[in-house]
Parts: sequence; C-alpha cells; structure tokens
Amino acid sequence: MHFSPHLYLDPGSGSILIQVVIAALLGLGVATRLFWGTIKKWLGIKSKPVEDDDDADDN
Amino acid sequence: MTTQTTTNKQLAASFRDPSGFLFSRSGILYRQINRAYEQEYARLMDSGLYEKLTKVGLLIPHIEVEQTLAEVQEAAFKVIQPERVPFISYPYEWSFGQLKSAALATLSIQKRALKLGMSLKDASAYNIQFVHGKATLIDTLSFEIYKEGEPWVAYRQFCQHFLAPLALMALKDVRLSQLLRVYIDGVPLDLASELLPSKTRLNFGLLTHIHLHAGAQKKYAYAGEEVKSRSGSMSKQAMTGLIESLESTIQKLDWTPRGTEWGNYYDITNYSDAAFEHKKQLVSEWTKRVQPALAWDLGANNGVFSRVVSEACPYVVAFDIDPAAVEQNYRQVKNDKTENLLPLLLDLTNPTPAIGWANRERDSFGERGPADMVLALAVIHHLAISNNVPLPQLADFFAETGKWLVIEFVPKPDSQVQKLLTSRKDIFPNYTRAGFEAAFKAKFTIHEAIEVRESERVLYLMESC
Repeated sequence: MHFSPHLYLDPGSGSILIQVVIAALLGLGVATRLFWGTIKKWLGIKSKPVEDDDDADDN
Repeated sequence: MTTQTTTNKQLAASFRDPSGFLFSRSGILYRQINRAYEQEYARLMDSGLYEKLTKVGLLIPHIEVEQTLAEVQEAAFKVIQPERVPFISYPYEWSFGQLKSAALATLSIQKRALKLGMSLKDASAYNIQFVHGKATLIDTLSFEIYKEGEPWVAYRQFCQHFLAPLALMALKDVRLSQLLRVYIDGVPLDLASELLPSKTRLNFGLLTHIHLHAGAQKKYAYAGEEVKSRSGSMSKQAMTGLIESLESTIQKLDWTPRGTEWGNYYDITNYSDAAFEHKKQLVSEWTKRVQPALAWDLGANNGVFSRVVSEACPYVVAFDIDPAAVEQNYRQVKNDKTENLLPLLLDLTNPTPAIGWANRERDSFGERGPADMVLALAVIHHLAISNNVPLPQLADFFAETGKWLVIEFVPKPDSQVQKLLTSRKDIFPNYTRAGFEAAFKAKFTIHEAIEVRESERVLYLMESC
C-alpha cells in the first residue's frame, strides 16, 4: 500500500486495519443489494428509482 | 489574526497540507495551489466534480486569478480566490444539528467524489463552514485522486471530529460538544468509548466505528510497517459501504431540545404582547437607521430579534449560551432556508478563546469582530448581577465588540432581576438606570433611550466613541 505525498494526515494504523475489516463486511451488504436489484429486474419486479445525486441533500 | 487582516500573511491555520495554503493580501483571501497538486486540481475541475459540488452548495466556489499573485512563487502552480465566508465559526460553537449537517455534508461530498474518481484526503470539521445557511467545504484542496484498493485515510479523523461528538451529544449529554474545544483533532475514540452508554455496543455503527475502532487504535498504536503489509486492500464497493454505514449511523442520531433553561424562554417571561411588539419595532427601526453590514445578537435565544435585524442587515450571527435555543434557531433557519442568519453557541461570561498551534489556529470570539452592530437584549442583568461584572467593564466589553449597540437595561424592580437576587445579598448599589447610563456614557454616545411599553425596561441605541 503506497501513500501519495499529498496525504499529510496521519490515518492511524489501527484505523486502517479496522476500516478494512468493517468495509469488507459492509461491502458484502452493498454487493448483496446490487445483486438483489438485478434479480428483481430479471423477475420483472419494479424497484424504487435511484436517487439523483445532482439534487441538493436535505442535510 | 483573522481572515479579515489587511497584512500579507499566510493564515495561521493553513500550514499542514503541502498541496497549498491560504493567505491574505490587501484584505483579499487567496489560496495558493502548489505544483505538486496540479494533477489533482485538474481532475477536480475537469471531471465535473467542482461543478457538481458547487451547484448544490457543498463546496465553496472560487475564481482563478493571476499566478503572479502567489505568495511563494517557486512552488506555485495556480492561485485561486475563494468566495468569502461571512463569519468563521468552529465546531465547538455549533449546535447538535449544525455538527450533524457538517458531518452529513462531508460524507455526501465523499460519495460524489468517489463517483468521479476522487476522494477526500481529510475530514476535519474545520474544513466545513456555514455559507448561505448550509454546511459547505471550504478546503478546495481536500481532494485526492482515488486509487481503488486504498483505504480512506480520513476515516480516523471523520470518526473523531464528527461521529464521536455527535454520539456523545445525542446519547450522553449535549454539552459534551465542548470536548472539541479541548481536543483540537476531535474527540479521542477511547474517551468517547468510555463515556458512551454501554447500550451503544448494540448499535452496529457505533460498535464498529467507535468502540472497536478505539480498540484497534490502542492495539496497533505502534504497529507501523506491520500494518502496511497486513492490511489488505479495500474495493470501491467496500469503501462505499463504509461511507454509507457512517451516514446511516449519523442519520439515526438525534437530539431534540426539551426542557433546558431557556428553551421555553419566551413562553414564560414577563413580556406582554405589547412590550414584545414594541421591542421588535424599535429593533427594526434602529437597524434600518444604522444599516450594519454585520450584526451580532448576544443572548439571542431562539433568534426572534435576530430575524428582525436580518430583514434589514446582510448578515446576522445569533449567539446564545443554551444549546436548546441554538438548536431551535438552526432548525428554523433550515426550515425557512434563511441564508443570512447563523446561530451559534456562546457563553458571554467565558467566550471562545483562541486555540490550536501557538493559540492562533482558531480565532477567539473577539478576534472575529468587531461587528457593526451588537444587540444585547435581556442580557445585562445576567452579566452585571449573576456574573458580578461592574458596569464600566461591561461598557468596555461592548465598546470593543461592536460600533453600534442596541442594549436593554433591565432594572431591579423587574421580575427577572428579582429572581436573580432572591437567594443572595444585593451588593449592587450602582445597578440603577443612572448608574448604567453613567458607565456607558464613558464609552458611548447615547442616541436613544426609550422605555419599553408595559415594562420596566429601557431600550438604548448607542454608538461607541
């Protein structure tokens, strides 16, 4: 893993490790969601419209 | 040292990032972009990310200016002039809702950046300012080119600056936002983990991003090289999952103001409708007369008088000591989409000091002034009586804080003052209308002194001399 010279911030060793673990678990969730979306399409089930990022968020 | 300085100077807070820095010249704020950042800047502008983010108010817009303006010519690639922030504020001055908005804005920016091949290289709460009423990223150089497989270097900082304090405010005590004043790089995760109720371990987001994260930090504090080789890579999908997890954890955090000291202030005070309307009318008239460009409402509560001022003043900052009042005010700002009113937390008896490296990175309350006009409605008795500040010293303070002053004298017979004196000895012989006027005449010219209808109080319009 190579850190570019722009990265002046200390990411923290522990933070890197835990992040990879959590992200791997959650990535499964995202992949599953996408996968189910495809299955639903095959079965002809209508899914909710994808959110348009060009709209401002209501933060 | 403020961003309004007229001397040529690199800003005291802008020194960590080798990609560039902010500096001020002849009262104008510029950002120098160094040659090392050339590719990243090009990607930001060409990919459409700059346009997408500025269009929805998530990134501060800028214009490119003559490169000859660079502060350090040898290193410079470009110089840009960002839009000015009307009033700089810091995360320890924000209400729960404001910090939450700042957190969600940061994650929203990261999601959009990832879609266009970029990623935030830091996630500091100090990179966010409120502009036109919205949480906006002001550090244009925060973006790096995303390389799939790389973890998010800003994850630690995001958890400390945003997730930890928000969780503490929502689930333990809203006053814990003040930890951000003490810990300049956000709340340490081990501290947050200790303070949060144990039931938070049942919440997946808080368990992983705070509790386990704190544990990993402790375990691998001195790991260094070992981590680099062991950690493995992170796909874009995994990164997206991480960001969305942080987002949903924060979305679910809520703090609803209820029952704090001032939350219901205007329902329980002794103002009759006539007195209230008279005060509003005077504030409105005098604002139109003074024509301030920047006004500060000290002790603004939920901002009812700040709003009156904002109708005739381009920018108003509404300060109050009560987190519930500031939160209520901010919710209304969001609801009404008000762009020229900024609610902030402030204890007048202990205003925000200058902190950070050499105590100069973040400006004190006073350093961000003076304001053109200051409102001090229904506060003087809290300062003079509850805090024992002698009237001449109050006059000094207000004279330094703003050019014009709209101040309400609350005399002893008033029921609110009587409450303050119930359990203590009255050691305030000079706290009378005459004493008040004598003290303030030393620093101000009194233009108006009007008795508020159906009350004992007097409203003054003063100009510092």
